[in-house]
Amino acid sequence: MPASLAAPILVVEDSDDDFDTMMEAARGVGMTRTIHRATSGGNCLALLRGGNGQGETHLTVLPVLILMDLNSHGIDGREALVAIKTDVGLKEIPLVVLTTSANPKDVAFCYRAGANAYHVKPVRHDHYVLLLRSLLDYWLERATLHTATVKVG
Amino acid sequence: MHEQINVGRDTASAITPAIAAPQTTVAAPWDTQPYSIKRHGISITNCDAEPVRTPGCIQAHGALLVLRQSDLSVLQASENAMAILGHEPGELLGQNVAVVVKAEGEVRLRSILSTDPTDRNPIYVYTLPATSKVAAMDVTVHTLDGVVMLEFEATGRSQPAQGTAPAAPGPRHEPDYYAIIKKTVARLQSMATVQAFCQALTDEVRLLSGLDRVMVYKFHADHHGEVFAESRRSDLAPWLGLHYPAEDIPKPARDIFARTWIRPVPDINGALAEMMPLVNPDTGRPVDMTFCALRGVSVMYTEYLQNMGVSAGLTMPLRRDNQLWGLIACHHYTGPHFVPYELRAACEFLAQVASLQQHAVEERENAAYRQKLEDVNQQLLSMAAQEGGLASMTDGVPNMLGAINAGGAALYHRDRWWRVGQTPDDLQLEALGQWLGERLEAGSLVSPLYATHSLAAAYPPGAAFANVASGLLAAPLSRSGQNLMMWFRPEVKTTVNWGGNPRDKPTVTGPHGERLTPRRSFELFAESVDKQAFPWMQVEIDAATRLRSLIMELVIVRAERLAGLNADLARSNEELDAFAYVASHDLKEPLRGIHKYAHQLMEAAPASDEEKRKLEGLMRLTVRMDSLLDSLLHFSRVGREELTLEEVDLNEVLAEAIEMVSSRIGDAHTQIVAPRTLPLVSCDRIRVREVLVNLLSNALKYNNAADKRVEVGYVAAAESALRHGFPEETGGQTVYWVRDNGIGIAPRHFDQIFKMFKRLHGREDYGGGTGAGLTIVRKLVERHHGQVWLESVVDGGSAFFFTLGAAGGQ
Repeated sequence: MPASLAAPILVVEDSDDDFDTMMEAARGVGMTRTIHRATSGGNCLALLRGGNGQGETHLTVLPVLILMDLNSHGIDGREALVAIKTDVGLKEIPLVVLTTSANPKDVAFCYRAGANAYHVKPVRHDHYVLLLRSLLDYWLERATLHTATVKVG
Repeated sequence: MHEQINVGRDTASAITPAIAAPQTTVAAPWDTQPYSIKRHGISITNCDAEPVRTPGCIQAHGALLVLRQSDLSVLQASENAMAILGHEPGELLGQNVAVVVKAEGEVRLRSILSTDPTDRNPIYVYTLPATSKVAAMDVTVHTLDGVVMLEFEATGRSQPAQGTAPAAPGPRHEPDYYAIIKKTVARLQSMATVQAFCQALTDEVRLLSGLDRVMVYKFHADHHGEVFAESRRSDLAPWLGLHYPAEDIPKPARDIFARTWIRPVPDINGALAEMMPLVNPDTGRPVDMTFCALRGVSVMYTEYLQNMGVSAGLTMPLRRDNQLWGLIACHHYTGPHFVPYELRAACEFLAQVASLQQHAVEERENAAYRQKLEDVNQQLLSMAAQEGGLASMTDGVPNMLGAINAGGAALYHRDRWWRVGQTPDDLQLEALGQWLGERLEAGSLVSPLYATHSLAAAYPPGAAFANVASGLLAAPLSRSGQNLMMWFRPEVKTTVNWGGNPRDKPTVTGPHGERLTPRRSFELFAESVDKQAFPWMQVEIDAATRLRSLIMELVIVRAERLAGLNADLARSNEELDAFAYVASHDLKEPLRGIHKYAHQLMEAAPASDEEKRKLEGLMRLTVRMDSLLDSLLHFSRVGREELTLEEVDLNEVLAEAIEMVSSRIGDAHTQIVAPRTLPLVSCDRIRVREVLVNLLSNALKYNNAADKRVEVGYVAAAESALRHGFPEETGGQTVYWVRDNGIGIAPRHFDQIFKMFKRLHGREDYGGGTGAGLTIVRKLVERHHGQVWLESVVDGGSAFFFTLGAAGGQ
């Protein structure tokens, strides 16, 4: 199995409901990759960079895709986004923003910071599932991923 | 009417403009021999060339002895000594003065010369008693350049032949000049204005002197003169308000009045007596008669007075800060009028006191004027502050003409001219403003204010409106000079009160021709003030400066406050924006959860149809709430986002809008048409498209017709026949319309349909919707400074009309 197939994806999501929907969508497309979950921007950075002195574990293999909700407690998605996209070791990982905010300022901020896509979460559950399925399908099956991002941390 | 002139001119004479050019032509006849009016006066043609201080002659009603100061022996005697003093002049030369004034006269003279300030200051010595041959004479003395000048004049009162007492009371009661002067001074002191002061002064001098006409002749800054106050015998024509050119009282004449306090000419037609010899034998020079009351009168001066019908004159200067401010000019028309020494002294004293007091009165009047200007300035400012604009300065009460003595005023403010009173028209103001602006930018104006009393001289196009604006006082209100306030003062000719047109007076031609007539003088004056206004007073310039700085302070305070408000507004807009997004985001979060669980329950196969129906309702409501939140968010942005105005082809915009509503044009039975090509419009393309999309979709949505038809068109501003029933405010603007054959709207609902989320129909009827469409339409149209309204009949279709403001098509 190529290394890329083994590489995980990272989901930053503080809502359990939305994370459940994510898992549902992942099952729906038959994804076999490991899904790591971070519940905040700070948690996300800890997983990617290693311990922050509080004994948090970190990933041994970097994810091939990050799906990130902007709003979370503590260090939020915006800060994490900026941190990732200014980190030489992380910035090449595709990062897709998923949020309820349709504020053009947020959209502009995220793209300027280097986000690879921005999606507004629809209210309708079935629409959200459809969005996630097409998103996972696109990034993991149709897009060519940058294998160099896969490395042992 | 030039008596005041003559007054000054007795020394200088000609009325023709004083020729300042150097005299290089012919040598004067007296260049080689001593000057004497009697011998050379008739040949004088130029007043500046006449040796006014050494005329060589005296007026023959008195006598003059010139004495050597060291031994009081007679050096020169006037040729009429026999008639006045009873001695042939030839006999007196070389003799001690006692020959004439007797021993007691000589003692008194020596005493005065040793104790009194006689230098250039005539002082009364004593009265020479009458004899069988001659009348009693008042003797006055003054010294100058080492000689003693002794003047003898008739006392004006009869006296016992033997009387020797200097002030022995005669049969005629002698007026108490001290009491008269005291009373007069008190009266003058109470006057509030210079005019009233001068008026009172002329009344008092006439009363005192008994002359037919007494005037105050005031010199303006350019030295031209004006009869400023007048007291006259009731049968005489008034000369008050008459103006004369500066040339009428030439500089030599004005200079004399800076030195002496009185100039009597008791008999204009009287003879002259020459000095014997003509020059001082000690020095070889002619005697300086500047301070002699008897100083001989020039031929041209007497001729001029004669032309006026004047028979006697008396003149006194009014000085201010040692400058000649004006003259008290007195004329008599009914024969000689001798003003004896005592009375003359009283008049002289009055002139001196008036000179001192006049200053104080003028200061008082200026202070009152300054106060009034300041009061009006403050009122103008508080009105401007209250009304939020400077326009009140021209149309309010008071306005810019409230205090300042001007004929008109104008203000450039908010891109237009505001005018009050007599001013140039807008086009002329525009050009003038531009010219001033250029001067301002070029830095050629030292002070921020520009003041002139002869605008046409500096700005030739000003000649076109010289009658209303020869005087200009301009104050820029901004650095660029684009905002201006200006005051205008009309041309002198249009404002001067001529007191009867001098052109109507008969021309009297004397030996020197017409130039010595009042008519010529008037013409000269009219010429000299052509396209000129009276100059601005310093208090007026000060007041304009003050008003300017008050306004600029106000503007700065305003600008600061406005900047503060703008910052607040920007902040609150930003906060509102953030609030709207956060609110919609936070409200949607739980909404998504509700929808999800309802969805999952549905998928878990509901127990009954009833349960299924409720779950479907739950999901539908969450979706509806979602779109309501989106509409609210959109509406909150519509009101605040900047418009992007550009030239837009409405036909293209309509095509786009039709495409956007095409999902509703399901079948061939729907058509959207524009009967005629739509115009180009300056508007925000995206937002006008949204207006059309909303109107079109409503037209299709609320339509049950088998063949749905929507028309989009416009009525141009000029098509008045088609504008029946349009709101008055839309006059001059293109009106656009969207007309359908739909269900129509009852008039009582016309207002409601524009309200947020207001629906006339069931939520799910006519394809649903949030009910925000028309609210947003109205907001978008209002952002374009336009308005929207409708005409409709139930079951008869609707027509929505809108304008896009002044920019959106005329």
